[in-house]
Amino acid sequence: MQDLRGNWERQVAVAWESSPFAIELSALSETELPSLAEYLGAARSLPFRYISIHGPSKQRELPEEELVAELVELARYADGVVMHPDTFGRPELYRPLGHKLLLENMDARKPTGRTPEELAATFAELPEAGFCFDIAHAWSIDPQMAVAADLLDRFGDRLRHVHLSSLSPDLHHITLTAEHEELFRPTLERCVDVPWIFEAPPPR
Amino acid sequence: MEPSGEHPLEALAKATGRDFPNLMDARRRTAERLEEKRPRLAALRHSPRASIVLMGSWGRQELTAESDDDFMVLIQGARRRLIKPLIRSVKKVLDRASGKQGVFGGPVFSDRLVQDIGLGGDDNDNLTRRMLFMLESIPVTGEEIYRTVRDEVLSRYLDESVKPYRPPRFFLNDVVRYWRTMCVDFAGKEREGPEKWGLRNAKLRTSRKILFAGGLLPILDCFRFDEQRMRGFLESEFDLPPTDRIARSFMENGASDAGARTLGAYDEFVGRMNDGDFRQALKDVTRESAPDSTAFSEVQRLGRDLEDGLLALLYETQYLPDVVRDFAIF
Repeated sequence: MQDLRGNWERQVAVAWESSPFAIELSALSETELPSLAEYLGAARSLPFRYISIHGPSKQRELPEEELVAELVELARYADGVVMHPDTFGRPELYRPLGHKLLLENMDARKPTGRTPEELAATFAELPEAGFCFDIAHAWSIDPQMAVAADLLDRFGDRLRHVHLSSLSPDLHHITLTAEHEELFRPTLERCVDVPWIFEAPPPR
Repeated sequence: MEPSGEHPLEALAKATGRDFPNLMDARRRTAERLEEKRPRLAALRHSPRASIVLMGSWGRQELTAESDDDFMVLIQGARRRLIKPLIRSVKKVLDRASGKQGVFGGPVFSDRLVQDIGLGGDDNDNLTRRMLFMLESIPVTGEEIYRTVRDEVLSRYLDESVKPYRPPRFFLNDVVRYWRTMCVDFAGKEREGPEKWGLRNAKLRTSRKILFAGGLLPILDCFRFDEQRMRGFLESEFDLPPTDRIARSFMENGASDAGARTLGAYDEFVGRMNDGDFRQALKDVTRESAPDSTAFSEVQRLGRDLEDGLLALLYETQYLPDVVRDFAIF
């Protein structure tokens, strides 16, 4: 969904084609935050029951306090703001986001935030934060899916939504394969009460 | 109760590693205060076939510091005069009995509860009394009378129209009717004035929804039973508070994780309601001030988590979606 970056109208339209239930607006780069704020400020209510914003994980230049201030402003329009914990300098600075802050588990390429043990330290600093469970990231750590189960055992009470896709050999999100759909099924059955966000075009 | 002797909420906590500290505390508080009140209420002179029944937070076993003492003096049989205990005598024993007359301002005669189901005689008050009696009540005195009347109401619902392996539709319709009545009455009360809008709204999102789900789920889960076992199942379910019935349904329908999050959200709400400042903040909220209220936004979040979990149980599990499709709408 790389081609949709920064095109908020199009992101909304594509999400609506999949489901009127949930959307995640991705501002993966800091440079996309101003236009997202402008779009959400000008837009009438969006036609989704659950709205999440994926905060920046790339091209980070803003001082962390300023970034958090921008995210707090954006959070007024959303139910959750997803962040990658490996990008945090001082996790405690994100406390103003309260329950709306969602920490995502990381993939095998990342230095931290991948396993229950690594995430626990960040959650300890952010007791109100929720959990965004990226099942493909968990698979990249452990294709037997034991780490995925451990993540849900440990942080299931914080679970707020799921990221769903498969991963390419270089660990980029791709459309969920039939093989992964079958492999992921038992784990996903533990998450039936929260929104599932496709991180790549859904299977047809 | 589970085969292990645990209540379903305890079993769910054990299965998922999730504690429900506020609900467990509230259960202990309810049991302690019940033991404290019972001897004084039992000492009141009782007419034959009379039972003092506590409702609301007492029936849900969720007493908080500021819970009201909603009660009824239940009399088995037809209307008659000179009933004991007197309502005012019961109120003297209870600490926070509602001062208002109306739904529980006088004795409740079981013939009306049992026989006036539907049609003009089944007014809003009678429906409310019957539903609270069935779904969230606990006897303090006259337990045998209480059980006899509950059996009578259940027999009325489980009449000859009941079919094996189908939810009892008559009972289902009445429970759904009561939930929708509460929702419509909420709007009606708002038109009368803005007082307590925030608190009423909060309860509709949470404890009223627990009350409804605590009736809906056992009834839908009757699809597992023939007529004989259906009755036994419902009797044992209504011996438990609504949170136990809900926990049981989540576990039996293979959705323990979702159940832990759902009842975890409700546990958080019960804990908040034990905080006087939070409760006062909700009382002060109006429709206009709601968007700026931290307390109200907390309730919105918890209410939504609760609803999402219940909807997942009804629509995303293996068997219930078919039952809901066939019975819950028409």
